[in-house]
Amino acid sequence: MKRPVLLVLAACLTVAAADAVPRRVVSLIPATTEMIFAMGAGSRLIAVSSYDKYPPEAMKLPRVGALLDPDTERILSLHPDLVIVYGTQTELKRSLDRATIPYYSYEHRALPDIMATVRAVGARIGYAAQANSLASSMERGLAEVRGAVAGRPRPRTLLVFERDRATLQNIYASGGYGFLADLLDVAGGDNIFADVKQQSVQAGTEQILARRPDVIVELRYGESAKNVDPSRDLRAWDSLGSVPAVRTKRLVILVGDQYVVPGPRIVQAARELGRALHPEARWGP
Amino acid sequence: MLHAIEVSFAYRNGGPAVVDGVSLAINRGDLVGLLGPNGSGKTTILKLLGGMLRPRDGSIAFEGRRLADWPRREAARKIAYVPQETYAPFDFSVMEIVLMGRFPHLGPFALEGPADLAVAHEALEATGMSAFALRPFHTLSGGEKQRVVIASALAQQPELLLLDEPTASLDVGHQLEVQQLLSRLNAAGRVAMVLSTHDLNFAASLCRRLILVRGGRVLASGPTAEVLTPAAVRSLYDVEADVHMHERTGHLMVTPIARI
Amino acid sequence: MEQVRGRLFVTVAGFGGLLLLTLVTAPLLGTTSISLARAFDRAMPFADNPDAQIFFVARLPRIMAAALVGGSLALAGAIFQALLRNPLATPDTLGVSSGAALGAMLAIAFHFDFAVAGLSSVSLSSLAGAIGALAIVYMLATARRRGLSTTVLLLAGVTMTAFFSALTLFVQYMSDFADTFRAVRWLMGALDVGSYAPLLAALPLTAIAFAMVAGLPRPLDLISLGADAAAARGVNVQQAERLALVSASLLTGAAVSISGPVAFVGLVVPHIVRLVVGSDHRLVLPASALFGATFLIGCDLVARTMFAPIELPVGIVTAIIGGPFFLWLLVRRT
Repeated sequence: MKRPVLLVLAACLTVAAADAVPRRVVSLIPATTEMIFAMGAGSRLIAVSSYDKYPPEAMKLPRVGALLDPDTERILSLHPDLVIVYGTQTELKRSLDRATIPYYSYEHRALPDIMATVRAVGARIGYAAQANSLASSMERGLAEVRGAVAGRPRPRTLLVFERDRATLQNIYASGGYGFLADLLDVAGGDNIFADVKQQSVQAGTEQILARRPDVIVELRYGESAKNVDPSRDLRAWDSLGSVPAVRTKRLVILVGDQYVVPGPRIVQAARELGRALHPEARWGP
Repeated sequence: MLHAIEVSFAYRNGGPAVVDGVSLAINRGDLVGLLGPNGSGKTTILKLLGGMLRPRDGSIAFEGRRLADWPRREAARKIAYVPQETYAPFDFSVMEIVLMGRFPHLGPFALEGPADLAVAHEALEATGMSAFALRPFHTLSGGEKQRVVIASALAQQPELLLLDEPTASLDVGHQLEVQQLLSRLNAAGRVAMVLSTHDLNFAASLCRRLILVRGGRVLASGPTAEVLTPAAVRSLYDVEADVHMHERTGHLMVTPIARI
Repeated sequence: MEQVRGRLFVTVAGFGGLLLLTLVTAPLLGTTSISLARAFDRAMPFADNPDAQIFFVARLPRIMAAALVGGSLALAGAIFQALLRNPLATPDTLGVSSGAALGAMLAIAFHFDFAVAGLSSVSLSSLAGAIGALAIVYMLATARRRGLSTTVLLLAGVTMTAFFSALTLFVQYMSDFADTFRAVRWLMGALDVGSYAPLLAALPLTAIAFAMVAGLPRPLDLISLGADAAAARGVNVQQAERLALVSASLLTGAAVSISGPVAFVGLVVPHIVRLVVGSDHRLVLPASALFGATFLIGCDLVARTMFAPIELPVGIVTAIIGGPFFLWLLVRRT
């Protein structure tokens, strides 16, 4: 009499245990999408955000909106068993709660948090080991960059991520906080706006002239990554001739989304930035 | 001096004629009332006479020349207009409002000089508003405002003054004030006046000549005593009324009795 | 009462002197201390002279931009208030600013890449948007046979403002976060032009507008009491209203294309000026232009020094000063 009951109980437990690992994951954050693919769990993803472009496999998945406009209906219709959402998407979280769909709340802060997120997401989707090894390799990669630039004089750097074309108007640079600032630090640069306790600073021409950066790095990503012509685009800086970076022509444009997606490609970003700031250092293969 | 011949006007192209085939003549020193009910086209006729509107049909001639051919400033030195109400969105003083009447006498970039100030002072005196010269216009009562605007019109030194319902929003005391003022100005300065009104008694006591207007047409025109009859009141207002001479004032008085 | 002639002289001399004083002092002030002697030292090549660069590249263009934008917006505000017979009108009332904002938004969201003679695509687009808005409002308001109807003008302007704002919000919504951020910041106003090119580009438009305004002050006085009364006094009302609309819109469009919309200048400066000189537009218009320039230079000085090294968008400073001042004005009137 007891055996069938035990069998059924065991079956239920197995099913339950199997169900505990999400197999239908929706990721609204490009960074976590990249993390999931990088740890080898890409097959678990059933939908991504409208801004996801990497890796190429992600482009084939259906899109369900992003931070400001998540397509709740579409998400629910796909019957996911885990949705990775932004911490601030309270409306969406409430809808998911009502539909009893579990979610992972993503918070974006600074560089160290990226590895922590890799590990947390990995654990959540049952890829803890792979996530750990991914995070560790990222940490090693960053340590390599640090090592390559260690002991070298750190150039005063202006890291620009936004500017009106052909002019010096509306320049936005990295302030002393945030992962761009951390990236710059790892790559061996001295942020000229390190004293500004903000992620982004509207950099005025007077401030730039007064702080005299040795290197100016401009980031181009997304739409602005198209039509990059360094000789033309950097001409606007010529009017600030007294800035060392302009005098010695240490003006660099770095192109790619790896600079603005706090995911696995951050190591690549750190290397490229390090190379731009310290071209003579030993960079290895 | 001013002749209108078969003048018609409509506010919209192809729309109903608000003024229809109106002919009239204003002579020097005249004191004429355009009398008629609301919506009869009196104000429109006044604006046509002042050149602010162009007739659709017919013609208006002033001193032998077509009104439309007169340059604006030149016309404004002869003909002045007092609207029914004046609202000042900005804090102009009484003197500033009166000085605006000097505009047609000055060139495009000219500023008022002592001569202009003198004319303005005279105009204020004539209307009894000298004491108010520096007061802000918007602090004045309705009657006082009206007198200031009349002073402003006088500052143009016109030969013809057009007034649109000058006493419409005034109480009887202020009405009498304005009435006496206009009478005095007409007599003294030989300024011709045409005023539009729906107020029978006001028209009767002030105007020497009346033009009765209804539905955009002239029903009758002539000396007040001849034109203002119970039959006229009936055809203008659909009202049964008594018209008789008042002993003390020496003017005609209309007493309404019943609506027909 | 003193004659206008004397008062005009005193007004222009007074406000002009104040502006001159501000123009001379403002470049000397800033978060970085510079040595004037070094800045004007001809011996040192310009490209090697940080003091000179701070003075001539960072500060001077910015101050001149503030003067141009402030003067233009204040003058435009005064003209719109007279044209609409309403002291609460602003350069934004008739939709020109929101047209400019839409133009800028499109340039930001769709990453327009053209640049002409040192003018960014955002500037050029916002100018195009401003002129587009003016054209629409003008056509709507002059559709009636008898010239400009201010009621239709006001309605057309308010409607266009609402419509363009809605389109702008829509474009913002569809664009990504970084672009939305840029767009929002642009709407707060920024005077750090870093070069004389935008000023030189705006100068012809501004000059044309000033030429149109030249004969307007007295007609505007008369028109503010009523179009019929003004016509009866010899004013060519239709021509004056059209000149007023076009000139004020050109001034607004030129200003907004340099710096983005700067709040309250067009509303508050004419009122301050009226408190001092009265309501005669022959005094109010020049004084508004002169004081608007001074006012914005002052606000920009506060914006770039108060929280150094962080620069506040100048529109925030004008709003913080302008808002409470305006409330006080309203309370005082009632």
